[in-house]
Amino acid sequence: MLRHLHRTVNLFDTAKSALFLCLLAGCKQSGERAQVREPVYYERDDPRSLDPALSTDVTTGEMIALLFDGLTQFDGDGRLLPALSDRWTADRTGRRYVFHLRAGVSFHDGRSVAAADVKRSFLRVLNPQTHGGRVWPLLPIAGAGDFADGHATDVRGIEVLGDTAVAFTLTEPLAVFPKFLAMPVASVVPSSPPSDFGQRPVGTGPWRFVAWQHDDYLRFARNPNYWGGAPLSESLTVRIIPEALTRAAEFLSGRLSVVEVPFGETKKWEQEHPDWLKRRPALRPVYVPLNNRRGPLRDARVRQAINHAVNVPEILRTVWNGRGALAAGSIPPTLGGSDPSRRPYSYDTSVARRLLRAAGYPDGFAVQLWRSGSNVELGQVAQAIQAQLAAVGIRVEIVSRDASSMREAVRKGDTDMAILDWWADYPDADNFLYPLFHSASFGPGGNYSFYSDRITDSLIMVARRTVDQSARETLYRRIETRVFDAAPWIYLWFPVDLWAEHPSIEGWEVPVIFNGQHWTKVRVTARR
Amino acid sequence: MLQLVARRLLATIPTLFGVLVVAFLLLNVVPGDPVAEMVGERADSATIARLRGELHLDEPIPVQFGHYLWGVVRGDLGRSYITQRPVLGDLAERFPKTLQLAGAAMLLAVISGITLGVIAAIRPGGLIDRFSMLIAYVGVSFPVYWVGLLLILLFAVALRWLPPSGYGGIAFLVLPALTLGTRSIAFLARMTRGAMLDVLPSDFVRTARAKGLSERRVIGWHAFRNALLPIITVLGLDVGNYLTGSILTETIFSWPGVGRYVLLAIQKRDLPAIQGSILFLSVIFVLVNLLTDVLYAKADPRVAYD
Repeated sequence: MLRHLHRTVNLFDTAKSALFLCLLAGCKQSGERAQVREPVYYERDDPRSLDPALSTDVTTGEMIALLFDGLTQFDGDGRLLPALSDRWTADRTGRRYVFHLRAGVSFHDGRSVAAADVKRSFLRVLNPQTHGGRVWPLLPIAGAGDFADGHATDVRGIEVLGDTAVAFTLTEPLAVFPKFLAMPVASVVPSSPPSDFGQRPVGTGPWRFVAWQHDDYLRFARNPNYWGGAPLSESLTVRIIPEALTRAAEFLSGRLSVVEVPFGETKKWEQEHPDWLKRRPALRPVYVPLNNRRGPLRDARVRQAINHAVNVPEILRTVWNGRGALAAGSIPPTLGGSDPSRRPYSYDTSVARRLLRAAGYPDGFAVQLWRSGSNVELGQVAQAIQAQLAAVGIRVEIVSRDASSMREAVRKGDTDMAILDWWADYPDADNFLYPLFHSASFGPGGNYSFYSDRITDSLIMVARRTVDQSARETLYRRIETRVFDAAPWIYLWFPVDLWAEHPSIEGWEVPVIFNGQHWTKVRVTARR
Repeated sequence: MLQLVARRLLATIPTLFGVLVVAFLLLNVVPGDPVAEMVGERADSATIARLRGELHLDEPIPVQFGHYLWGVVRGDLGRSYITQRPVLGDLAERFPKTLQLAGAAMLLAVISGITLGVIAAIRPGGLIDRFSMLIAYVGVSFPVYWVGLLLILLFAVALRWLPPSGYGGIAFLVLPALTLGTRSIAFLARMTRGAMLDVLPSDFVRTARAKGLSERRVIGWHAFRNALLPIITVLGLDVGNYLTGSILTETIFSWPGVGRYVLLAIQKRDLPAIQGSILFLSVIFVLVNLLTDVLYAKADPRVAYD
């Protein structure tokens, strides 16, 4: 049935794929002829701005990571590393952190970085006049909420200690706070940035801003004085290319250094060019939140039945080209706190029927599954789920909307089910539990299943306050087992990102977190 | 003629006001939340509420419209919620690029489409007629997407003659212009052929021939001029459409024009950007229609506007 579904993707996509097979075949030789002369990366859309205070999306965040530094940063493997702060300490309560600034760091315009710049940068993000939209990474700081609401003229929890250190007092202990400071919005900017700062940014990062032609390209030049060592390439260009097949054509023409392999072309590229490909398990669950407050989905047995009724391994293999690892929880297997011994829900329709009978739905029920019309792949997964749930009597109506309409409905709790993925903001289990399952995160905060459990809530808060990493991970495993048993989602999989790298490129890896690739070690060499 | 232009320009004011009202109301009715798009995937309700207040989105719709209208009257289309850049500046940056693409596509369409149509009409049923009509059928039937990707495949990836996408010199313009112009070439060829076939059997053409005029002059002057009206209609509609953004072509070829700007604004529910674009593009459309009407009168003096 799934193979049939896969074949019945709309004609348009089939045509695109057919054409692209020709394209790939036709350029086998020509693709290998070409060579990029400088690293050229791409984004799908224009960044929102180059002002860190406006960084609320992946595209903008990736660009901010090239131009700016925070006190801390992530590397491509998602490890937390020192950045503008070369060391930090936390007191025994876990509420007060002191970050010591790295000596001798300057902005691209030559001004030295001082501790006061850190405070001013954070006040700027929190200032209501900035209209940035992402203040939550700084809200744990005492007094930040009052300042953001316009009820205070200063943030009492930020203390500048001379020129070389800054201390933060938090409203309550938060073990992941140093990771919050590695997010793009917490980047340090010079004092009194001009009004067009978002168009002509000045940071401390490995790349200096050169030019930005909107919807066309951004150009950066190496920062020779970068504290972490100057990038190996002289320049970096980031082109804005919205269409996946055009990006692939650009790559095959030798005009892009790397490209994400178009979804429908996975097998072809794997066969034709295995040496080009790079894989990386993504910190991104693909899942279906089951609205725990609506109709039959309120009953955990019904939600468990749904999980048993969906043959996730088959959908992953056929619809998703096998590009993923089955999910037995929401924490990606590569992160501390995930439990490798937990098994996914088994595909067993008899168990599903039994659970439905026990819940009082022997004949099933009708339910809606929302999908974003622009995401073809997730749309196909939705169709597969629809077909499989029909086998146990659950009649699924697929509702296709544009992404914005769907997001609004999901956040308001107006949907029964929706097919989504969740991109990590910071590589930590907390990012997959607090926003997704804490009752304080209902709706816009990320808890789209409206899962609510007081014990889970309190355990998540205990984990956030636990500084000892090992104890924290033990807590996460316990929390996730509890949540998984309640089945607030259909647990699908964690995708494996598949990229192709031009043979002339060295030093590039698929980053595990969006702002973990700084392009400092990448260079174009003679063809291998 | 000047009176006509002045009268038509005055008449655009209520038209544009109507466009503004309808666009404003529609945007407030459709689902989707601009603040949700600003804050990204994870936000707290307090931030969302605060932003709604700061952007005046919590005010009654008539008040919001009043604010917007006052800005428009002062020549201010507002700032994008998402990028915080002035909408007018964004449009001014992108429109010349759309104009460039539309101009190239129309030039291509006029030269090839009309030539094909005229030649086809001279010998209906002949080899050239069949060939040009085949091209016309293919051009009308192929989706823009297909044409664009095929052209990229052939000329950029396989032959390496042209860049696959992007904005730059003439080399970057060829493929998108050809893609955008294909439908117009096909339509114009068919329209020109039909109009010429209607005109060629006319008495005045026979008279022109009887006067001993050369065939070139008979076809090119007497017949073609009388076949111009439907051609101008097609041209006017296409120019209007191209200038108001060719979303597919601009997307396939990563062309930084107005079409992509509007698309992203809609996807992000960026109200000032959408409203500003609608107003700006409506003005363009009205002006193109006005130009078309003027050309009607020029092409055929019998056309009179009272």
